[in-house]
Amino acid sequence: MTDLITPILAASLPLSMPILFASVGEVYAERAGILNLGIEGIMGLSAFVSLWVTYSTGSYLYGLLAAIVAAGLMGLLYSYASVRIGTNQLITGLLIYTLSLGIADFSYRRLTSVSFPLIQPLPPISIPGLSDLPVVGPVLFHQNVMVYASLAVAIVMGAVLYRTTWGLKIRAVGENPEASDAAGINVNMVRQLCVLFGAMMAGVGGASLTLGYLGLYNSGGLLVAGRGWIALVVVIFSRWSPYRAVAGSWVFGLGYSIAATSIGSGLVAGAAQGTEYFLLMIPYVFALAFVFVFHRGTKPPSSLTVPYKRK
Amino acid sequence: MQVLPGKRLSYALGIFVSLSLFSFVLLIFGYDPIPSLETLIMGPFGSVFNASETFVLMAPLLLSSLAFLVAFKGRFYNIGVEGQLYIGALSAYIASSVLGGFPSLIAVPIVAVAASIGGTLWLALPLFMRIKLQVNEVFATLIMNFIAIDIINWLTTGPIKDVNSVNPQTPFVPSTTWLAIVVPGTRFNLGVIIAILAAFVMYLIIHKTVLGYEIRASGLNPRAAQSGGVDNSRSILAVGLMSGSLAGLAGMVVINGANHLLAQNFSPGYGYQGIAVAALGDFHPVGALFASILYSALAVGGESMQRLPNGIPIELTYVLQVTIVLAVLLVQKWLSDRRRR
Repeated sequence: MTDLITPILAASLPLSMPILFASVGEVYAERAGILNLGIEGIMGLSAFVSLWVTYSTGSYLYGLLAAIVAAGLMGLLYSYASVRIGTNQLITGLLIYTLSLGIADFSYRRLTSVSFPLIQPLPPISIPGLSDLPVVGPVLFHQNVMVYASLAVAIVMGAVLYRTTWGLKIRAVGENPEASDAAGINVNMVRQLCVLFGAMMAGVGGASLTLGYLGLYNSGGLLVAGRGWIALVVVIFSRWSPYRAVAGSWVFGLGYSIAATSIGSGLVAGAAQGTEYFLLMIPYVFALAFVFVFHRGTKPPSSLTVPYKRK
Repeated sequence: MQVLPGKRLSYALGIFVSLSLFSFVLLIFGYDPIPSLETLIMGPFGSVFNASETFVLMAPLLLSSLAFLVAFKGRFYNIGVEGQLYIGALSAYIASSVLGGFPSLIAVPIVAVAASIGGTLWLALPLFMRIKLQVNEVFATLIMNFIAIDIINWLTTGPIKDVNSVNPQTPFVPSTTWLAIVVPGTRFNLGVIIAILAAFVMYLIIHKTVLGYEIRASGLNPRAAQSGGVDNSRSILAVGLMSGSLAGLAGMVVINGANHLLAQNFSPGYGYQGIAVAALGDFHPVGALFASILYSALAVGGESMQRLPNGIPIELTYVLQVTIVLAVLLVQKWLSDRRRR
């Protein structure tokens, strides 16, 4: 078991990366007052799109961009419904979830009738000198470019949210849309852009899952395996801060890593049939504990899930 | 149920727009839309068997939808119907296995009660946290779906797996616990009747009783309801108990009605589809009845389309189902906003 600690820690960062991308994006959507329950599905869709495009063009960048476009289209649809039309956000978000996964799984079924897309995940980049350190080296300094990017994005988007006028406007819109409107902010435009950004980040998250870790797709539901929902839990846990989302995502990345690494190493091979499902439960049990322990005392943006209509 | 003319228009428009989009997608992917649509729409009516399958599929879907709907009326978002359905199914399986020696008239009602209790127990923790500690239920119920499914995965591949089967599933439950077949030669069983009755019972409770009035009041405006003497916690407790029981029953009608065993991943997402169905039925129990018939007819038609020579994957039919709900919701909201102006 002890020889598994380094591999578990090393895999925890790539496994937290999709959650981190998605939760940073969702922080923006929720800060502006819109809850997007569709991101689990959007991650599945973009995971498929990125794999497909990368497989057919050979370019990871094209795969990533295509995933962002696909996710953005779902984001546009969701922002139109939830912000413009003002439908119930929980219901519409869940519909977007089902819709995205349906599109992804349909396309995958169509595609696999002619070929089986499989790619090599992005290779890790060793930071010279640092990557040779024991434990810390392989965990922190021998990761692929998207892992580093996820951490950078969280920090940059944290700074944008707290230190720029843009960030101030977004937070104002989520806390008090009437006052923001009176101050001349186009409330629904800010909301639409934030939802769009959130969806695109979920798209990057989904793409990072296939391009940066798995290199394959089976079905959206099995592939994303709750990471989108967990990103939403991370948003609450991190109290709507991109900085704290780094820590929150990492805890869940660790949960997924404990399951994946111990199953992959054959730790449960000798155990009774079905034992691996206990390991697979770990991230969800973490999430449930998080919801119950940390939900109390957290205060969401005041106008979260309340549509804004000019009087 | 009062259907406003604008609502009727929104259904017609929503379905028309979705079917047009669907045909367009079929064209893009090189399918011939006309025979495909014909199969989709006529599939559920093609034979007695297909027609009965529509109702067999409808039963768990309608019960799941009612489970979400009644909680929604009290402003309690139970997104964990899927997990409660699985645990209800597990409870039904265990109860059935134990009660094999009893006559049906005794065994089946006890199995139903066991399934309801199982479903409710899986909701108990989020319900308790909501009522006592004001913890939002959305994520707790959602996350518990995954835990429930992994528990079923574990049991059906390990401890209660049928050793004689290659599939991850249990042996058959004793035939005395099976829900009686209503239409001979098909799978149309008592579960369908139970589901339809449940819709009318929920209609009566929500719309014709004092409890239902209080639930709706507290769902619309908890603060105003409280000033009017409604105990919001009691309303939430009531909808929670009903919701969990209905979800558990949804699991039971699959186990004891349609499949007669507990299999891994037996639900194609009834819990999530139930939410879409509730929305399509305008959050009214009778509306949910019609919406669930439409939804399952589409699924049966979709399976017929998949069996065509140039088979259209069933996933596209799932996309069509959601598109219809989304389109109807959008048109409805859009029309009602226009009228208000």
